[in-house]
Amino acid sequence: MSVIVCHACDLAHREDGIVPAARVRCVRCRAELYRTSAAGVDTAIALALAALVLFIIANAYPLVAFKVNGTTRMATLTGAALGLYDQGYATLGLLVTFTAVLVPLTQILAFLYVLVPVRLGFRAPGQERLLRVLTALRPWGMSEVFVLGAIVALVKLSSEAEVAPRIALVAYGLLMLMLAAMASVTPTEQFWRWINRRHR
Amino acid sequence: MSSPPVRAAVTGRSLGLRVCTRCRATLRGIAAAAQRCPRCRSPVHVRRPHSLATTASLVITAAILYIPANVLPVMRTHTFLSDQDDTIMSGVISLAHSGSWPVALLVFFASIVVPLLKLIALGEIVIAVSRRSVRQPEQRSRLFRVVEYVGRWSMLDVFAMSLLVALVQVQSLATVEVRPAALAFAGVVVLTMLAAQSFDERLLWDGESRG
Repeated sequence: MSVIVCHACDLAHREDGIVPAARVRCVRCRAELYRTSAAGVDTAIALALAALVLFIIANAYPLVAFKVNGTTRMATLTGAALGLYDQGYATLGLLVTFTAVLVPLTQILAFLYVLVPVRLGFRAPGQERLLRVLTALRPWGMSEVFVLGAIVALVKLSSEAEVAPRIALVAYGLLMLMLAAMASVTPTEQFWRWINRRHR
Repeated sequence: MSSPPVRAAVTGRSLGLRVCTRCRATLRGIAAAAQRCPRCRSPVHVRRPHSLATTASLVITAAILYIPANVLPVMRTHTFLSDQDDTIMSGVISLAHSGSWPVALLVFFASIVVPLLKLIALGEIVIAVSRRSVRQPEQRSRLFRVVEYVGRWSMLDVFAMSLLVALVQVQSLATVEVRPAALAFAGVVVLTMLAAQSFDERLLWDGESRG
């Protein structure tokens, strides 16, 4: 008899008593024990590639334009972090870079690094550690918060100057959707089943 | 949905089984006694060591930082006429005055209500667990999950500020400058996130399993 222990309340569940479902929850605390997804490796890779392209656009072009006295100022993602750094707030600059740039990039690259070999039938070295890092980073990826933050900045300025969203903000908004889709087609269990058929 | 458990409140601990809190694999067979999860190589514990103390100290530190973060100005706007300091709250008020009610409400919730609720909720949970309160684990775990989920949204103002600083740098006309309280504010967000992550949710249910 095999047992699944809930990670959130430690309740033991008999595996043969679990009714197969897309999402299996703990009977006591309702935490998600595991979730399955019908999507294949190809879907996950396609989403990650789309996210990579959007990430490049979001970083290479200006997010917003600010027009005052006939001159236009543009802000890029790196410009926003550097502005904080220039004013002596390197910590804040790093925090913005980490949550809005580095974590999403790491997520995309780690996805491709692990899944492309799965698709081609071999194992990427160090994939277990990488997936562990990926799980740990999940709460620190804040692309959707950043998009909303950019909208707040636009609204704040709109009463005093002419401001407009630019191509990178659109790309970043789409990147946010891609990252959400990537997370939804790869529940933790699915990832492990793909890369390591010995467990579960 | 799943069927009833083996018996009421048979836990991993009572069966001598551990679960990896990182990748959620139950350790069994020859791996049952391993120090690290055989699947993701994370350290595995029956209960995370010093979880309550770590969470409590992070919550206290965040609560102290919450005061300067809200009382002192986080931003200064220089114009050729005057200098204006803005706290988080005065930023919300000026947004409301300019007629952007929904956005003002959004910033108010993300920057003021959410951090405060997080501190109260985590504080209550820490006190309840340290007193070995066995009541209402369902409500507390639901509360904890809400806190864990909404925590990141408080970064909203930090992101907005970073863009304002980058955009409004028109020499002799207007510049926006960050003030030290912005650091305290970001500190509250990061520390409460770390506090939630270091808390071992199973502590909420241990009373129930014993009783």
